Amino acid sequence: MVLSGDSQLFQIIGVTLRMSLTSSLAALLIGVPPGILVSMYNFKGKNALIVLNRTLMGLPPVVCGLLCYMLFSGNGPLGYMKLLFTVKAMIIAQVILITPQIIGNTESYMRLICDDIRATALGLSLPKGKILLLALNESKYQIISTYLFGFSRGIAEVGAVSMVGGAIAFKTNVMTTAIMNYTNRGDFTMGVALGMILLAMSLILNCSVYLIQGKVNK
Amino acid sequence: MKVENLTKTYGGRRVLSIDNFNFEKGVIYAVLGANGSGKSTLAKLLCSLERADEMSKITDIGKVLYMPQKSYCFQMSVMKNILLGGRDEKRAKMLIERLGLTRLSASAAASLSGGESARMALARTLMSKCDMLILDEPTAAMDISSTSVSEEIIKEYARENGCCVLLITHSVKQALRVADEVIFLYEGEIAEWGEAKSVLNDPKDGRTRRFLEFYGA
Ligand SMILES: Nc1ncnc2c1ncn2[C@@H]1O[C@H](COP(=O)(O)OP(=O)(O)OP(=O)(O)O)[C@@H](O)[C@H]1O
Ligand SMILES: [Mg+2]
Repeated sequence: MVLSGDSQLFQIIGVTLRMSLTSSLAALLIGVPPGILVSMYNFKGKNALIVLNRTLMGLPPVVCGLLCYMLFSGNGPLGYMKLLFTVKAMIIAQVILITPQIIGNTESYMRLICDDIRATALGLSLPKGKILLLALNESKYQIISTYLFGFSRGIAEVGAVSMVGGAIAFKTNVMTTAIMNYTNRGDFTMGVALGMILLAMSLILNCSVYLIQGKVNK
Repeated sequence: MKVENLTKTYGGRRVLSIDNFNFEKGVIYAVLGANGSGKSTLAKLLCSLERADEMSKITDIGKVLYMPQKSYCFQMSVMKNILLGGRDEKRAKMLIERLGLTRLSASAAASLSGGESARMALARTLMSKCDMLILDEPTAAMDISSTSVSEEIIKEYARENGCCVLLITHSVKQALRVADEVIFLYEGEIAEWGEAKSVLNDPKDGRTRRFLEFYGA
């Protein structure tokens, strides 16, 4: 059945990829700079910011879904944008979920090396911008694995996307919500097949990143 | 270059306290003292990596170059690491050759041994000119011949630039070989300072004398 190529199946996979690739990339772009800045510089309220971010890292997806639902619903503050039950709304909800994880990952990794980088670079009296670029370069592998982490979180997430997306067939249904629907209908074969595809996609992605890293290392 | 009332307090504990001190241009100072006596702290304050306590005054320090006790090897080749210190490729090649890094110049800096990375860090620091050069135990990880080459290069650099050099070291013999003056730190205070030979051969202060007995100089 998987091999015979079911148009709905391809549609579901397409939406899933579009959603999780976009949301993880956006979260990466939003989350890495503050992660690096917070670890490199000391300022007032830094610890409060870190604690706040750690709290957001624990935000339950359904709570995030609820907030986005209220925001985008017909009489919500952003209701005029008519985003509820669209892929865009799902992406926004996922960005809200994933960004704190990216900030937290980047910050806790950079914290380990930033003192030595800062001392060495300042000792060479390099300008601030150059120091930030060097720090970014030092954390490139960490950034790749942080991205993978964000992507896998996005692709596996179900609570928020089902609430703001509604799991509408041929529109906002993604693999996780589809698995839930098939299971509710008693169609276990289809559910298991989708689950296997989900795992296979994750395997392919991780293998290619592993190969790319090997090349870059040489 | 002058420091007045220079103090640093970490969590209520004062780890450095210098009433006032003038650093002269063209002079190489060796900073000696036990572990935790505040040598690295002094270095970090002078290159403004750490902020001194309020009321501290550092004047006319000019451009400072500083090699930390734990230098960082950036994820790039040895050559590129050294060029971070300055763009002059000829100078980089000269330093690389003298410090015995020629064979390694294209290797990843992360793969260097402890002494090799110290040599790379020294070359990187000496790539450009400055008014004050601060080296925090630059030869601690080096073998005898690298140490000797490094000392020559440091002396040359000081002569060519007419800058002030602060060489933090645990080696009394190195201080005698390289430095004009010695600053002896004891629990964050300058216990004694003066011409290297006279302080090291004939210490006046009891704390300095006890320290030097340990080192058998
Ligand atoms: N960030 C910090 N927080 C708290 N205490 C610190 C900090 N940095 C240094 N100290 C303390 O200040 C004192 C002086 O440290 P410093 O690094 O200047 O010693 P040092 O003379 O360089 O010693 P060594 O010979 O081991 O390099 C030490 O007791 C150290 O524990
Ligand atoms: Mg030290």
